[in-house]
Amino acid sequence: MRALIIDDSRTMRSILRRIVTGVGFETAEAGDGQEALERMEDGFVPDVCLVDWNMPVMDGYTFVTRVRDNPEWRNVTLMMVTTESEHAQIVRALAAGAHEYVIKPFTPEAIVEKLDLLGLIARESV
Amino acid sequence: MSTLQEAPSTDDVLAITEDVWRSLVGEDEGLVPAPPAPGPYDTASPWSATVTVSGGWHGSITVELGDDLARSLTRRMLAMTEDEALEDADLADAVGELVNMVGGSLKSILPGPSALSLPTVAAGRAAFGTETVEAARLDAHWREHALRVSVHLPTNPPA
Repeated sequence: MRALIIDDSRTMRSILRRIVTGVGFETAEAGDGQEALERMEDGFVPDVCLVDWNMPVMDGYTFVTRVRDNPEWRNVTLMMVTTESEHAQIVRALAAGAHEYVIKPFTPEAIVEKLDLLGLIARESV
Repeated sequence: MSTLQEAPSTDDVLAITEDVWRSLVGEDEGLVPAPPAPGPYDTASPWSATVTVSGGWHGSITVELGDDLARSLTRRMLAMTEDEALEDADLADAVGELVNMVGGSLKSILPGPSALSLPTVAAGRAAFGTETVEAARLDAHWREHALRVSVHLPTNPPA
């Protein structure tokens, strides 16, 4: 399985990378939505994107809508991982095509549990 | 005429900062609240980071901590050993993520809808404008190192 970690914080990308590589994912990283789209256009099509909301250049919500507009990426699972916790924003992201929503701060277990619920973790890795 | 808005309490700030700290640093050593220290945050080589909230609530959330604590926090967050060198960019990123998470969590308990800014980080003590007032302040320690989280409100928030 492949995960694309999209967050403008290198520190947060590092934290998420440790969590998902620990359950068997190959990872790539991007510092904003635009860079993530470029990674995907260049051939790194992930099984799941972990997407921050507030980022420079292109925010996570716009990234979600752009991914959902491309039929070639219809199988990519989108998980928001963000401090944005207003109900309306959560509904907006899910309506735009995000599959899961994790609010920072989170525990590693919460991320793994969500990935497991989405069927993205091999049983021996949990 | 100034119309100060609702503000989070120091207990709110403490509970949220403890949650964020635990998620970033681990469960083994929590923050220890300290009696409020008078005056500006005072330590050698401070770092500060601020996010602003605008919309249903207007204000800013600032974190201040010393270089030693910033380095310890960054090493924990990046899973680095004491031997590995840190650059200022690493510290700025980690301190920025700390205030982003504290600010985002505080925003969730305040009137909305509101937008959270990207963090601004400085290698230095925070300076606050004359048209703001401190509404809440948390002083705490982690391993003897001081940390301050403060919430400032504009004296004349936008209508």
